[in-house]
Amino acid sequence: MKNFTLLLLISLPNLQVQVSGKISFNQDIQPILSSNCYSCHGPDSESREAGLRLDTREGAIMDLGGYRAVDPGKPDESEIILRIESEDQDEVMPPPESGHVISSEQFALLREWIQTGAEYETHWSFKTPHKQPLPDIKRKEWPLSPIDHFVLKKLETENLPISKDASRHAWIRRVFLDITGLPPTIEQAEQFYNDQENGAYEKVVDHLLSSDAYGEHWARMWLDLARFADTKGYEKDLHRDMWRYRDWLIKALNEDMRYDQFTIEQLAGDMLTNPSPDQILATAFHRNTMENDEGGTDNEEFRVAAVKDRVDTTIQVWMGLTMGCAKCHTHKYDPISIEDYYSFYAMFNQTEDADRVTPIVPTPTSEQARQQKEIQKKISQLQIALQKKPEAFQKDLENWKGKFKNQPLWEPFTLVKMESKQGVILEQRAHGILQTKDENPEKDTWTLTLSIPDDSQITSIRIDTFPKKTGGKWIDKNVALREISAEWNGQDQESRKVNLINPRADFSQKGWEVSKAINGNKNAGWAFSPRSDQPHVAIFDIQNPIKGGNLLLTLEQEFGQGLLFESFRISFSTYPVRWLKPVIDYEKEFNLIFEEQVFAKTRNIHDKIKRETKALNSLNSQISKTPIMRELPESKLRPNAIHQRGNFLDPGKNVNPEVLTFFGKIPSGYNTDRLGAAQWLMSKENPLTSRVMVNRVWARLFGIGIVETEEDFGSQGMHPSHPELLDWLAVDYQENGWSLKKLLKSIVLSRTYRQSSVIHKDALQKDPRNRLLGRGPRFRLTAEMLRDQSLFASGLLTHRIGGPSVMPPQPPGVWKSTYSGAKWKTETGPNRYRRGLYTYIKRTSPHPAMVTFDAGTGEVCQVRRIRTNTPLQALITLNDQAYMEAAGNLSNQMLSYNAELSQQIAHGFKRLLTRPPGKKELQRLISLYHQLEEEIFNKDDYLQSAGLQTGNPAMVALASVLLNLDETLTKP
Amino acid sequence: MNLPINLQNTQAITRRHFFGQSGLGFGAIALSKLLAQNGYAAQTQNFKIPAKAKSIIYLHMAGSPSQIDLFENKPTLTKYHGKDCPQEYLEGKRFAFIKGTPKMMGPVFDYNQYGESGQWVSSLMPGLSSVIDDVCVIRSMHTDQFNHSPAQLLLQTGNPLLGYPSMGSWVTYGLGSDNENLPGFVVLASGGKTPSAGKSLWGAGFLPTLYQGVQCRTDGGDPILYLSDPKGFNRKARRTTLDALKDLNQYHHKHIGDPETISRISQYELAFRMQMSVPEVMDLKKEPEHILKLYGAKPGHVSNAESATDPRQLYKSNDPTFANNCLLARRLVENGVRFVQLYDWGWDHHGSSLGESIDETLPIKCQQIDRAIAGLITDLKQRGLFEETLIVWGGEFGRTPMMQNNVRNELKKGFYGRDHHPHAFTMWMAGAGIKPGAYGETDDIGYYIGKNPVGIRDLQATILHQIGINPHRFHFPYQGLNQRLIGPTNEGKVIKGILS
Repeated sequence: MKNFTLLLLISLPNLQVQVSGKISFNQDIQPILSSNCYSCHGPDSESREAGLRLDTREGAIMDLGGYRAVDPGKPDESEIILRIESEDQDEVMPPPESGHVISSEQFALLREWIQTGAEYETHWSFKTPHKQPLPDIKRKEWPLSPIDHFVLKKLETENLPISKDASRHAWIRRVFLDITGLPPTIEQAEQFYNDQENGAYEKVVDHLLSSDAYGEHWARMWLDLARFADTKGYEKDLHRDMWRYRDWLIKALNEDMRYDQFTIEQLAGDMLTNPSPDQILATAFHRNTMENDEGGTDNEEFRVAAVKDRVDTTIQVWMGLTMGCAKCHTHKYDPISIEDYYSFYAMFNQTEDADRVTPIVPTPTSEQARQQKEIQKKISQLQIALQKKPEAFQKDLENWKGKFKNQPLWEPFTLVKMESKQGVILEQRAHGILQTKDENPEKDTWTLTLSIPDDSQITSIRIDTFPKKTGGKWIDKNVALREISAEWNGQDQESRKVNLINPRADFSQKGWEVSKAINGNKNAGWAFSPRSDQPHVAIFDIQNPIKGGNLLLTLEQEFGQGLLFESFRISFSTYPVRWLKPVIDYEKEFNLIFEEQVFAKTRNIHDKIKRETKALNSLNSQISKTPIMRELPESKLRPNAIHQRGNFLDPGKNVNPEVLTFFGKIPSGYNTDRLGAAQWLMSKENPLTSRVMVNRVWARLFGIGIVETEEDFGSQGMHPSHPELLDWLAVDYQENGWSLKKLLKSIVLSRTYRQSSVIHKDALQKDPRNRLLGRGPRFRLTAEMLRDQSLFASGLLTHRIGGPSVMPPQPPGVWKSTYSGAKWKTETGPNRYRRGLYTYIKRTSPHPAMVTFDAGTGEVCQVRRIRTNTPLQALITLNDQAYMEAAGNLSNQMLSYNAELSQQIAHGFKRLLTRPPGKKELQRLISLYHQLEEEIFNKDDYLQSAGLQTGNPAMVALASVLLNLDETLTKP
Repeated sequence: MNLPINLQNTQAITRRHFFGQSGLGFGAIALSKLLAQNGYAAQTQNFKIPAKAKSIIYLHMAGSPSQIDLFENKPTLTKYHGKDCPQEYLEGKRFAFIKGTPKMMGPVFDYNQYGESGQWVSSLMPGLSSVIDDVCVIRSMHTDQFNHSPAQLLLQTGNPLLGYPSMGSWVTYGLGSDNENLPGFVVLASGGKTPSAGKSLWGAGFLPTLYQGVQCRTDGGDPILYLSDPKGFNRKARRTTLDALKDLNQYHHKHIGDPETISRISQYELAFRMQMSVPEVMDLKKEPEHILKLYGAKPGHVSNAESATDPRQLYKSNDPTFANNCLLARRLVENGVRFVQLYDWGWDHHGSSLGESIDETLPIKCQQIDRAIAGLITDLKQRGLFEETLIVWGGEFGRTPMMQNNVRNELKKGFYGRDHHPHAFTMWMAGAGIKPGAYGETDDIGYYIGKNPVGIRDLQATILHQIGINPHRFHFPYQGLNQRLIGPTNEGKVIKGILS
């Protein structure tokens, strides 16, 4: 192993520098000091030993009492050299127990550095990037873009070859996968293959950048950073609607929103002047933090954890620096003190959310918003129409009201007699009011005999209750009418059951809706807490109106605790039931009743309004509500202090909100708050934001970033392989108006990107990982791309952009969460075949096929996925239901393409790999097909495994082989 | 690796490359190789130390059993039984559910002394009592988390928040595994639910996903997800397709020259072998009757509780699921698996609803595990594996010496309960390099630690130490920090007092 490390190092450029004798502090010295010395002699004063710091020149050359740690020009008198050389176990540095060892190469570098003056340099990434002039190169005909100059220069310096252009088939598959995450169709590939025009490549790229699939593919990268998931995390890990944020993201990318705008909206969209609904939705970015619903947890503890996560994520995503350690102590390697941390934290610590889902806002999709508008418009038009009353209206109204002089709308019943289990006596007083004579018992059932007029049919009965008097045995003023039932003793003295229908009340207690008083179930009924101290009304219509005789009304009030009527009235009406509304003072409403229910023309309009309102309500109830950021009002702003050792229960010194001042100040005109922080991140003076983003994009295309440690641009991170290229891209990105599409276009149209990925033996030895880019990128596709590609090539993919997350098949029993009843409901319709980025992510139980291919769980910000290779991955693409169904459908596509076997196979091959199969490949596949035909396996079962009723099992198995080819799983 | 002859040359040429790539199979990958290849500063990680244990079997009782009723015989607490808890124990304390002043609650079951060491063990665990001279009972554990999910995460990943690698991931990342055809870190769950913190407890956090725990399922489905060939397909057909796949990949490799393609071929061959080796190792029917009896195992048994919405009410004392998992654990370590993690859910005995009481549920849970654990220790011993296997048993925190009072303040049959207690609890360790006996003490009522406190960091440090890893040196650079299982500070110390 050791030999291997050395071998590898020799091929890396930094040792070449040593040979040339020029020493760069940033490239050669700082990595040695940083990883071996800074943890005890670095920026953190708390853990600093012997008062010595080596991260600044001032500290290193300080007089330590007649000697210096670093004595410029005099390595033999420099204490660090003596200490490294020392053989005394107590003296030697780094101390043996630290596990650090300085190699002889490193030692030589240190000596030489001191000898030549021990100059320090600002860490490379903390300096503002500038575009350097394009380097001189030998093969001037090769470059297609400035990018290629930088790449070629390095290759020429290292004496490494470039590769010829990739075949058109390889390039188009590569660029399709990179920009949209999907392979080209055979037709698209052919069109490009035959397009000999100059702009053929550019035409393809422009087409791809304008497709919807582009935003979907690139959203995935950002979703990793945003720690996007569909659940809250921790024990209960309950669902939370976040998908509208994903919609926002896809849209922003497809519209090529400028990166500065993109940043500001997500970090502080709510703080913009008159923010649009989309700008507020964007702030859901930082509401992707976890929430803990476990019983007995301290909300403040998890609110603080969420705010810290926002701080860490912000700095990580935009500046490629790690803040995490500064939570507890000053950063050991980078210029971030614990005070810096909590000052930055203070800006993010002023939002309303507190380990709860609130604040949330309705976030209609554009289609829903359109429907909302449409209905609202209809309603307001109808309301305008109502304003103009026809001439006849007023006269007809007066006539109508005249009726009630003879026969009121409601008339109290006369109480003939009553029965009570507990001997309660009711007295009928003025206006027909019924009043209990004595204090009520705990519970009772009454049967009231009420006299029905002989002359007209009664259509409805009404109960008015009046507030109970205070004092007495029972405190609760509520009434629980658990059941009301009626019987009619007609003039023929026969008793018949009366059906009560259309229950309605002015108000019902939650869970005690008035309908429950006639549902035959005595566990619930009508009650009206918390509004028990107000009068209430309930109305029940009589299904078959009755005339004459008596009505026997039974009021079951057996709940207990004295929840019985005390003062109430029972009335009847002889009018059409649609005139009868559950309002206390109905005479006041006569005009309205007439307009709504009686006068034909206005009734018509009202009916329409009701229908539209119902439609609007139902639409509104379907609109997703998304958690968003909202700043606390000034009076409620939280005080801020350092959390000592990171413990929020142990506040230290107070701090004021501030950005990391080492990297410049908040632009003038902005406050020290989230919005100011966002502006600071995007200001031209910030040396990191642009570099970090272009590097991230580069890494997605080439497999490795120019700075390999995408997550760490600080002094512990790796040095860029092509510093000038990185800076050129970073400045160009700013100059092009922060356009991601332009950035991508410039990279994928470069010659560097166009190279073939065929590896020459020589190049494999010298540059095994293609750090110097002498060939095209070749690496395994991501979890999502693998899924999408198989669905697309087999013709199964559902092309639908955005919307809620979906549940494609996953093995049964994977979800067994504690205390959460959530169930994985496997999709059966088109949602079964959506792109991978729409697959539901439950943080504590993500989809196994995704995670096994290195997708994250959305728990914390994930800067890069480390590609792994395990047998479990092979099992997924061989056996997973999704891949089997893809194989099934692909086999059908092949069979229906042509009657000839070799053409069928070639067709399937091209659908996945774009290129046609070679002769040998085709032969091998044909022989496989014949072998499979011979193999004994259960035909019906196998077809069923592939989701097919009928088909050709041998072709399914062959299609599955195509889906598992190394070339299929890999970007060409 | 059994590659055909014509590939062996290619393999030799690209051997260096192989190691460099991000993993291949489960066993072969050493971390420094993977590290260097992903840009992590090439640290000199001289963390390996002589190992006492080859494998670890960690038995996690999710929910946290009551140490008061299993290990802590406290006559003084019995004396105060039913009296109000003194204020000094309540002031400034954060409880999950206790409100106001709860009553003290003495141990509910009888205690006796067992073995030559004369340790007090509850009558609920006759099996463990019979092997008590083989284990070291640590009575002075403490943690700083008092809710399940964060406490489980702290214990298993070193951080109460989600997103950190689990102990098993750390260990396999550091040491790899001895059997290429089996995952190095296997998880077995029983009790009908995954633990509170979910699969994050065996997640790889920021380590490559290769190191995440692989859950082997014993509830009737595929023992490992996606392991079985599609229905209707057979081994012969699979072999035929893999042969074609190999040929086609080889053609392609000749053209492209990327050693990754060769890794791909091996990856599929390993998968093919795993499809055979996993069901084989998981097949308990291969065990003789007396061994099954020793554990109380029943091959193929699938408990109703495993698929119930609320399994607690279906718990039966003779449910063999945990016993099956213990026997599996032995088979796995016997086959070179590095870290076997068992989770048994259903130990959260608050007494506030049905199926979660000290008086009725705890005895059932004990019967489910007790014989199996004694069987596991006995079996490992008779096979000579005990000395090279570290066994760890415990919950994520302890339970209060007071009864839980948020629902009722009086004891009621079937509803005896205790709240979460982070200040003192009991765990035990046994096997590789562990000195049997007792370690640490609590005060007279079992509320605070009296002697030799052991924190979560100490436990983690000790486990790493026994498996041959220096816990302080072993790290992974991430987020600007040399991340370690034992956390950034050096508070965690190997518990020397329990080592032989």
